Amino acid sequence: MLVSKRQFLKGVGALLTGVSVYGATRTLQADSLLQPEAESETKYAMVHDENACIGCNACVQACRETNQIPEGVTRVKIERRGPFGEYPNQSYRFSRVSCQHCEAAPCVRVCPTGAAYIDKETGIVAVNSDRCVGCQYCIAACPYQVRYIHPETRTADKCDFCQKSRLAQGLQPACVEACPTKALTFGNLKDPESELVKLLKAKPSYRAKVDLGTRPKLFHIQTIDGEIML
Amino acid sequence: MSAFHFEGLVWHWPIAIYLFLAGLSAGAVFFAIMLKHFKLFHEAWHSPFVQAAAIIAPVAVFGGLGILVFDLTRPLDFWKILVFYNTSSVMSMGVLVLMAYQVVLFAWIACVFHVRIGQLLGNRLAIVRQLLNWLVLQEAAITGILVILAISLGAYTGFLLSALIGFPLLNNPVLPLLFLISGLSSGAAATLLGGVLLRGNPNGVEVRFIHGIEIPLILVEIGLLFTFFAGLILSGGQSQVAALNALGFGFWGWIFWAGVIGLGLTLPLAFNLWMKVSADRKFAYVAVTASFSLLGVFLLRNFILYTGQMTGT
Repeated sequence: MLVSKRQFLKGVGALLTGVSVYGATRTLQADSLLQPEAESETKYAMVHDENACIGCNACVQACRETNQIPEGVTRVKIERRGPFGEYPNQSYRFSRVSCQHCEAAPCVRVCPTGAAYIDKETGIVAVNSDRCVGCQYCIAACPYQVRYIHPETRTADKCDFCQKSRLAQGLQPACVEACPTKALTFGNLKDPESELVKLLKAKPSYRAKVDLGTRPKLFHIQTIDGEIML
Repeated sequence: MSAFHFEGLVWHWPIAIYLFLAGLSAGAVFFAIMLKHFKLFHEAWHSPFVQAAAIIAPVAVFGGLGILVFDLTRPLDFWKILVFYNTSSVMSMGVLVLMAYQVVLFAWIACVFHVRIGQLLGNRLAIVRQLLNWLVLQEAAITGILVILAISLGAYTGFLLSALIGFPLLNNPVLPLLFLISGLSSGAAATLLGGVLLRGNPNGVEVRFIHGIEIPLILVEIGLLFTFFAGLILSGGQSQVAALNALGFGFWGWIFWAGVIGLGLTLPLAFNLWMKVSADRKFAYVAVTASFSLLGVFLLRNFILYTGQMTGT
């Protein structure tokens, strides 16, 4: 009995060690590197030019109407900071807060049911609300804090680049269309001829929290005015 | 910033209770197995402490799961977690461990109490008796698997939080170990408290054995807490902000220093050391020490959960 138990424990111990070492080596980046998925021709991304943005919230309103977002929650926020400088030379700084459509998305990684997933065709981080049970693990895991529980469906929700509402009809996302100053550019990161890629090559941009290894696909062009951040 | 309501808070106290109960269940089972294996052997089923653990472990894990299900925004869809699995999700793997743990837990309880169950059955239900006999033959394997599952469950309570990469206080490699050790000590405390309430001898071999393990366990826990916060502070940046924010003079700072360190660790350690040298243990000593331990672990879960979500990167 004792010998069989010892053998058993050895076996299970070795198995567990192997499994946990395998699991631990699958880092965020490795997740996408390990799976050489059939390369799709499309990978959508967005640029927010903070020089052009005037904080009018037209994008927020357009998104709300197009995607029927109830009051109290939102898929996109424009955060205002400032004013900086003395009157009359005052300026504000606006930044867009919305889903970053990460290449290595923490929400997708933690979702227990696979309700959060990356659409292989478009690179869009999407939600399958039929599978969502509302554990809110994705909301806690998202370092950009852009997910919320939809008050009516009780499932996790967020920006999907209007995939379900407009993209299918060949239209640009509602926020891009609504922006009066053309601060938003949406396009295919894999198409070198796209406006998006041309803009990214012409102007220096940054992405939020890249140190977390999530590889976000929301690019920001920083304001020249405004605070210098330390 | 209010202690229980602040921007960015996603998971609140029900999750802390769930983590507490899951750790407690794993700890109670762990100590019941140790008691049977090293001290009581075939007499284990007579011991009020093993009986207490056999009641506490399933009740705690069911209670915890119940809280988890009702905390979902769609509780009626909880079965989807059991059907769909995502191998990269800590929660998915945890649910797998929880399911296996419950099955093996009942198998083990059946093995330990097979004599009593056999008496109750009498001549009825021959199939159950056969199953019982078969389980008893497999007891070594069942015990081994249950130890592994209990330790996995205890660590999982920490891994669940440490997977949240946006919060430096939670995304910390020491957290699963800290939660495992504190979960084991809460299980020990619950077993002792339940045992003496079931009229177990407070000066018996079980209490002496568990107290003997509890002292090093508390010392390890103090060391892990120190490592946890020292590591955060030495990492600098938002990790340091998060650690100092948690340990400062706010509400949660008091919970940590007075509740976790004072009531939960220092007092039980002092009582344990004192009981070790004094000749015999009385009901009140054992019950009070265990209650403080339990309270400390419960406060630790809340402290980590709330302060962890206060500072993001």
